[in-house]
Amino acid sequence: MLQYTLRRLLGMIPLLLLISLVVFFLAKMMPGDAFAGEIDPSNTNPQYIEEMREKLGYNDPIIQQYGRWIVSFVQGDFGKSTVYKKPAAEIIVQRIPNTIFLAFTSLVITYIFAFIMGMYAGRKPYTLGDNLIGTYNYLALAIPSFVAGIVAIYFFSFKLGWFPFNGSVGVGLEPGTLDYFVSKLHHVLLPALILGLMGTASYTQFLRNDIIENSRKDFVRTARAKGTKESKIYNKHILRNSIIPLITFLGFDIATLISGAVITETIFTYPGIGALFLESVGRRDYAVMMSITMLLSLLTLFGNLVADLLYGVVDPRIRLD
Amino acid sequence: MKKSALWSFMLLLVMALFLAACNNDSSSTEKESEKKPSGDTTATTDTAAKGGVVTFGTDTAPEGVYDPAYSGSIVDSYIQGFTMEGIYDVNDDLEYVPNLASWEISEDKLTYTFTFQKGVKWHNGEELTVDDWVFALETLADPDYDGPRYNYAEGIKGAKAKKEGKADKIEGIEVVDPYTVKITFEQVKINNLENLWSNPMPKKHYEGIAVKDLAESKQVRENPVGLGPFKVKKVVDGEYSELERFDDYWKGKPQLDGVIVKVIDPSLAAGAFQNGEIDIMAIKPQSVKELTALDNVRIEETNGVSYSYIGLRFGHRDKATLKNVADVDKFKSKELRQALLYAINRPAMIDAFLEGKAAVANTVIPTTFWTAAPESDLNQYEFNTEKAKELLTSAGYVDKDGDGFVEDPNGQPFKISFGHYAGSAAFEGRSQAIIQSWNDIGVKTEQATGSLIEFNLYNDMKDNDDAALEAFFGAWSTGADPDPSGLWGNDAEWNYGRWVDAKNQELLNKGLSEEAFDKDTRMKTYVEWQKHFNEELPALPLWENMDLYGINNRLQGVHINAVGFQTDVYKWNVQE
Repeated sequence: MLQYTLRRLLGMIPLLLLISLVVFFLAKMMPGDAFAGEIDPSNTNPQYIEEMREKLGYNDPIIQQYGRWIVSFVQGDFGKSTVYKKPAAEIIVQRIPNTIFLAFTSLVITYIFAFIMGMYAGRKPYTLGDNLIGTYNYLALAIPSFVAGIVAIYFFSFKLGWFPFNGSVGVGLEPGTLDYFVSKLHHVLLPALILGLMGTASYTQFLRNDIIENSRKDFVRTARAKGTKESKIYNKHILRNSIIPLITFLGFDIATLISGAVITETIFTYPGIGALFLESVGRRDYAVMMSITMLLSLLTLFGNLVADLLYGVVDPRIRLD
Repeated sequence: MKKSALWSFMLLLVMALFLAACNNDSSSTEKESEKKPSGDTTATTDTAAKGGVVTFGTDTAPEGVYDPAYSGSIVDSYIQGFTMEGIYDVNDDLEYVPNLASWEISEDKLTYTFTFQKGVKWHNGEELTVDDWVFALETLADPDYDGPRYNYAEGIKGAKAKKEGKADKIEGIEVVDPYTVKITFEQVKINNLENLWSNPMPKKHYEGIAVKDLAESKQVRENPVGLGPFKVKKVVDGEYSELERFDDYWKGKPQLDGVIVKVIDPSLAAGAFQNGEIDIMAIKPQSVKELTALDNVRIEETNGVSYSYIGLRFGHRDKATLKNVADVDKFKSKELRQALLYAINRPAMIDAFLEGKAAVANTVIPTTFWTAAPESDLNQYEFNTEKAKELLTSAGYVDKDGDGFVEDPNGQPFKISFGHYAGSAAFEGRSQAIIQSWNDIGVKTEQATGSLIEFNLYNDMKDNDDAALEAFFGAWSTGADPDPSGLWGNDAEWNYGRWVDAKNQELLNKGLSEEAFDKDTRMKTYVEWQKHFNEELPALPLWENMDLYGINNRLQGVHINAVGFQTDVYKWNVQE
């Protein structure tokens, strides 16, 4: 398995290079650059813009720019944001805690709800309850998060006033205090609920199907024959088996944890990686955009690897070599 | 085997959780240490009789550059509107008036002597002297300076030499005493003052930082020092900036305790106003209806300095010589251009797409400027399709083959490709309305590329004189300097139609010349220029936009003019 892991890790390198090449070229081929559209005739002189373009090398052939970028990237220099005029790495690191907090909360919500719904649906398949759960799940999957976000803000923030609708923390609170933490939690709850409740479909249906499948297996029949209580059969015998394949989802969640939710973060003005990514694309902030892209690609690849490894661990029939 | 596998998995899960928790933890402590220094200023709340905190909403996040010499974003400049102050101010008529300093102009009009106010304090308690301003000018002209504002020092004698590294100091600056300084310019120009950098830099605060490091220094990015009525207390990146009252503000103690600049998604503006979460925000005409329905919010409007127009292509820009070359003949006929403007029902478009919050313009100098020509001097081009058709016929554009559309005077098919950028929902209708108007008078018009063009791509196409943009929608915001040569000069980069005209340049030059120091002469020159523009129509002026602000009724004392909403912010107050 060690050999397999190493092989996979080495295999990531060309893949990452390829991803970076494609994304870099696509980004550069987008019309405009960091200085386009920012023209304010009374304040900016064309010479300055030309000078900066020359200085940042925007006038060189793309392949040359790519070469320059990848060399410094490999050496750990992620470039400087043209918007914030700070190192890209610094800006990203600043945003990561917010994103992880949001993603973590929403994942917990997803897990809890998916678990409850999946258990119920699996235990009583093809009943009204199961159908309702199924309907809800696919509806939630189909509704775009920005619609859900705005509707939720309208009801819960504007009409009922239960939750704040923007930002990640209340104004003027000192970090480290209890108020600060409570405010953070309060701010994260609504976007996390949106993300969490809208994303239960895959988990729920996976769990449901697995429970149904397991409930027809011999060991369940044996247990029933022995006279084991129905609840014990489901909660112990079946669940223990059904939950194992779900573990592999964990790998995929690693990337989600960082990538945040581009749209949801933007609507809630929640300063995380997702909102930053969207902004960097819109404003052609190449350094930030490429750094986030690479970070997410790496995490996705890594997540896939973890998922594959977990499969092997969970199910010995799968051999990794 | 199975059991141990399960255990190892459980261990992994626990570790994953632990790691995640760790991450969370370390990040919050990191944040803590980062914010402490700026956050420990003593709270001054509750001591003032009036007090109160208001929230200003913006739709994009500040970039967090607090020195105007380095910042470029509008949101940063809003924050600077609270925290910074310049040597001159711009009044309601867009005239430049003394603020931190007053000035006298010498006989030869080359030297300006500035006298500074005494007793003006920086936020760190230092007194403002001319050294702070000279320091700013020297920084702008420094070869290592990497901000975008060098052009505001360029006009001073010897600034070029410093920029090129040939001199240590700007020759044209002479400090007389701590409150008096003489600035000598390279050339006599009426707008030397308008093109002179107005914001002093806190010299003591920036001491010891090399110019090339200044832009990224903590002093500029994290704990800025300004002269304005409010100082930066705390910044939470991408979310809000908290400003607090500066008690020693030189015009008097501000009435509010503080201002919060908060980022919100524009789609939520109405709700946030209703809830009282924001007190003031610049709004778009599209939100007017929603906000008028709220009884705790008023809308204030003022004539702004921005206008919309339809550009017509006359040529291209030669990038090697930086000159505009008129080599496209499509719109050479003046009658054709006039007909195109007569064909458009501008009041109807303003009602339909801008909620009536704009005024028809017949020239490209907004009426707020003191140089604006009286409407009686200008042809009004009121919507008149008959007149448009007459003009077309008289210029030789008639329908010869009977397809309902005119041919050009040589009998060749005539077609205009009109471009518009994508953006808000109203743009599609606006673009179609213009195309329809022209088709209605028999000028065949099609949408360039078949749909609205993505904004960045559109700018690229304009920069590169793309052939598809024969006519194109454009808008400018002009700033307070009445000189239009940056946009309409013969060789101006932003003269996107590439209109080259001898009389145009002659008048624009005259407006900046020595004789223009006489205000009447200058005014007359610009009126003449506007009449010329109005007659020739090198671009079709559509309307000038109104600046709109939504303001919560509890916030009083806001003075709005064409430059913005931040005149005398120290007078803002809250009435519950």
